[in-house]
Amino acid sequence: MQKVLTSSIFAVSILIGIAVFLFPIIVPAALPAADTLGGEFQQTQALTMVLLTLTIAVLLLEVQGQATSAKMVAALGMLIAATSILRFLEVAIPGPGGFSPIFVPIIIAGYVFGARFGFMMGALTMFVSALLTGGVGPWLPYQMFAAGWVGLTAGLLPQVNNQTLLLIMLATFAFIWGILYGLIMNLYYWPFLSGSLELGVAQGIGATIENYGVFYLTTSFVWDMTRATGNLVLMLALGLPAVRALERFRDRFQFQVAAP
Amino acid sequence: MKRTFNARSWTVWLLSTAVLTLIIRNPLYLIIILLAARIVQKSCGEDERMIKISFWRLSAVILLFSVLFNLLLVHVGQTVLFRLPQNMWLVGGSLTLEALIYGATSALILITLLAVFMAYNSVVSTSDLIALAPRALANVGIVVLIAVSYVPETLNHLQRVREAQSLRGHKVRGMRDWQPIIIPLLVGGLERSMNLAETMVARGYGATSSVGLSTAIRLLLLAGLVFVLGGWLVSFQYPLLGWVLLLAGGACLLIAYLRQGRHSSRTRYAQVHWQAQDWLLVILSLLPLALALLPFPGLNGSSLSYTPYPLAALPEFEPLMGIVLALLAAPAVIADL
Repeated sequence: MQKVLTSSIFAVSILIGIAVFLFPIIVPAALPAADTLGGEFQQTQALTMVLLTLTIAVLLLEVQGQATSAKMVAALGMLIAATSILRFLEVAIPGPGGFSPIFVPIIIAGYVFGARFGFMMGALTMFVSALLTGGVGPWLPYQMFAAGWVGLTAGLLPQVNNQTLLLIMLATFAFIWGILYGLIMNLYYWPFLSGSLELGVAQGIGATIENYGVFYLTTSFVWDMTRATGNLVLMLALGLPAVRALERFRDRFQFQVAAP
Repeated sequence: MKRTFNARSWTVWLLSTAVLTLIIRNPLYLIIILLAARIVQKSCGEDERMIKISFWRLSAVILLFSVLFNLLLVHVGQTVLFRLPQNMWLVGGSLTLEALIYGATSALILITLLAVFMAYNSVVSTSDLIALAPRALANVGIVVLIAVSYVPETLNHLQRVREAQSLRGHKVRGMRDWQPIIIPLLVGGLERSMNLAETMVARGYGATSSVGLSTAIRLLLLAGLVFVLGGWLVSFQYPLLGWVLLLAGGACLLIAYLRQGRHSSRTRYAQVHWQAQDWLLVILSLLPLALALLPFPGLNGSSLSYTPYPLAALPEFEPLMGIVLALLAAPAVIADL
């Protein structure tokens, strides 16, 4: 029963995530044409943020059961602190634009410690680094959601023993998420900037998707490619040692004194 | 950090201002909100951010992108500024003043949101923000607290690792050179977390049995999610039914949070009291929102939204609405009372 409920909660949250992120593309078809020109669309946009925040609230409550042992709480806190630091490096050490070193640790933590740990790691890393950089904003739920899914899906990857295969799998995974993350985050601010809804109502879904395609190619394709490539290279460079280091600790963390 | 208001009353200010920014599409009103947010940040805020972002530079980038994108791609509108040859892919056609205004208005919304949240970030300290976490999320709150408190130490650790590596002739040239920095950083952090965990246990963490989610609470969470998703989807066609479902979903989630919160109690060392001026701030923040959302005699809600299409005209401006929106800058004045 509990397991069924848990997986249903995750399933519905996936649905909400898809609906919210695809909303700028589907909404012109769903809304009556006259309404989009007024404030209607913006109210819906505000509503999606509320929806996403509620979903994150549910998921955090659902996954925090993972973090009941002191060791897990402390490890999660420390890993988040270390990863948030990497987000400073992103600014301090000039690297290629768009590249961010935070995804590789999130993926590795998710892979080694499991999906729930990975979700908390991703979502809370975004939250903590936003707190520290003064980056709390309406975009934060979207970032937390997307980064949470990075960690969660990493936890669903199969356990591979062959080192070369493992490295190839993790590197491909990091590359794909580098692009996906950009695609997803763009959907948040694209409708603000592009005036696409006026277009969408006039010309249908095809035009909306084309509009997004142009927006994506002109504003973020290069950016996302550097992020994806950066993820790939960083994962190739330190994926295996990091996995080994975390796995060594995993065994120590799960050590429990048995009740007499 | 000087404490001007309770973090809760600031949050009411934030929510009211952000919602107003999202539902208003009139550039004149948006500029009032933008100025109010900047005034609040300058007078009540304290800059404790570790990374400085230039607000105006970021705003200029947003404005540039939005205006260019609309101007070049949206060929709707009657006031033609310029014509590009029709055979140019996508950008060909007439460039209109209306598209330019629309782009600038959209950018103004994003910039205002940015200003509002920057103001909130600067007036509420990180620890106060974490203290706002609901009791049901006690474990998550502890994780965040550990992460935030260990960031300075981790920065020191990073500095030590980099010094040690550069003594050995290490330089960061490519990606591979991150390995000798990141791996010790991770391992060092995990080592410290072992110590921290032992300290926590020694001080009684986890001594009281921590309660997982019961079936009832999981059911409430699931029902809440299904209701809000359903309500959101239904609201496109049947707004009233949609709102009822959304509220029902919200209520389910609230009950789940309250019930789960009962299992953990929290004691506070430094209490921040709710003062009279917090009430004042809450009332002054909610007033503009109420005026914008509810119908009032003598106020015409239509001035809130403005669209330049099909022919650009000056946006409507109601002085009363403008004055009420200026109340959002009130914290700057009443903080010194």
